[in-house]
Amino acid sequence: MSYLQIYKAGIASSVQDSGRVSKLSIGVAPSGAMDPTALLSGQHQLGHHHDEAAVEMAYADFAATLTDTHDVVVTGAPVRLSINQQPVTSKGVLRIEAGQKLEIKATNEGVYSYLHLSGGIMTTPQLDSRSTSPREAIGGLDGGFLKDGDNLPLSAPDRVVLAADPQLFIRKPKTVLELRVVSGFQFSDFADEAIRDLLTEEFTVTAKASRMGVTLNGAQLQSGITSLFSEATCYGAIQVPPDGNPIVLLNDRQTVGGYPKPGAVIRSDCVRLAQSRPGQRVRFALCSPDEADRINWLEQHYLETRLRDAH
Amino acid sequence: MNFELGPAGEAAMRLVFTEVPQPALTRALLEIASQAKQRFGPTLTDSVIGYTTLTLFFSPSTLERDRTEAWLREQAEAIALVDHQAPDYSTAEVVLPVLYHPSVAPDLEWLADDRSLGIDDVIALHSDATYFAYATGFAPGFCYLGTLPEALQTPRLDTPRATVPSGAVAIADAQTAVYPCESPGGWRLIGACPEPLFNLNNTPPSLLNVGATVRFEPISEAVFRALGGVIP
Repeated sequence: MSYLQIYKAGIASSVQDSGRVSKLSIGVAPSGAMDPTALLSGQHQLGHHHDEAAVEMAYADFAATLTDTHDVVVTGAPVRLSINQQPVTSKGVLRIEAGQKLEIKATNEGVYSYLHLSGGIMTTPQLDSRSTSPREAIGGLDGGFLKDGDNLPLSAPDRVVLAADPQLFIRKPKTVLELRVVSGFQFSDFADEAIRDLLTEEFTVTAKASRMGVTLNGAQLQSGITSLFSEATCYGAIQVPPDGNPIVLLNDRQTVGGYPKPGAVIRSDCVRLAQSRPGQRVRFALCSPDEADRINWLEQHYLETRLRDAH
Repeated sequence: MNFELGPAGEAAMRLVFTEVPQPALTRALLEIASQAKQRFGPTLTDSVIGYTTLTLFFSPSTLERDRTEAWLREQAEAIALVDHQAPDYSTAEVVLPVLYHPSVAPDLEWLADDRSLGIDDVIALHSDATYFAYATGFAPGFCYLGTLPEALQTPRLDTPRATVPSGAVAIADAQTAVYPCESPGGWRLIGACPEPLFNLNNTPPSLLNVGATVRFEPISEAVFRALGGVIP
């Protein structure tokens, strides 16, 4: 066993893997990496399994040393890296010797970055996952966000390292990010004006953005729906509370809710939204469920091809 | 019974009955959820029951929309035909100890005043009723219980509290619930329950599950403390 000794954890760093499956019925959100593509890229570069966890950092401002020598790779939102205060490339696999100080700082792009460590993070899985759900205090290191002074247990770095560098980041948000929506839930009960505004107006990502969801600002959507029986939410569900500012629900969402929802943003676009900073302009566009399947399939296929070609 | 079917995002199907919530409907939804588990096996990752809804979640790219929709339609129609005669899942009654006291219940006095009732009347109304567990979710261990006696029904706070303590016994409209962990919340707080509602070491981890029957039992401050309750 070796340890990642954290000096500076930053604003919202946590242990995340691909998340929990089949726990919605007991009210536990899936959690997991906000950018699953970045997680996969790092796992791949270190020859890890797909259930291996990484340290997720929001607006990374992270400093740590290792008690043993490990190979590391940082994926997701671009960062500046230094070892013992010397800047190093942030692309590909780096060897960090025991005692060397690794510093990771966000650049001006994206939100979530991932620190992957050879050997893997050895916190105890809960409900079949190492992902942290801070609100429920499940998973991660003692169930919470990482703090300055934490020691994160790692497995001995004895695995084969693949020094491939597919650089699977970052689908740069265009000037206006298009969020494709599968309509559903209360779509047909929404006031016509609210649907028109949803599909024609431009919205902006606000600072109210977290692992639970992203609040948007733009047209105030008045659904005209006054009461609703609580029901299941889903990844990407667009929740419209009485103030009219839509919230796109993400990994740490509440599993059940009582606000009206005109539909859900498709998986690939949710990841782009998660990686968007406040001020990012977005637009919604309708998309059929079959179209969503095709888009997801194409992106998955593209990802697998990139990973295969990297060898 | 009238129902509608539709997507809940690209990986889930939603069945909604356009009826008022009632235990018979919830039992019917539980029955369909259990049939779905057999029908779809491991590609069905989750089924979540709401007051009038059942949402079936599938692993990415495994949802065969047309066939799933046809199957759900069949189930929903069959349930309608037998007129809610699904098996009764409520095996045992769960009794939750509650300290009803202003020191742990910031809205108790307000509610009594607002209804021109004594605090004892509010306690009696809340704890004499038997509740049915319509849905779980929002947070792990959170269970939506109904139906709250009409004399106690009250809307949510205009501005939700930033922090509601773990164990808070709360009411909103025709519902009551216990907050299983500290979280923000807009329901009115009328008591505190010292019993943990969610424990990962139990199977299932939630003390309250959909279909259960629940009652609240008033306890003294001494018993509350003895059961591990903390008075701030």
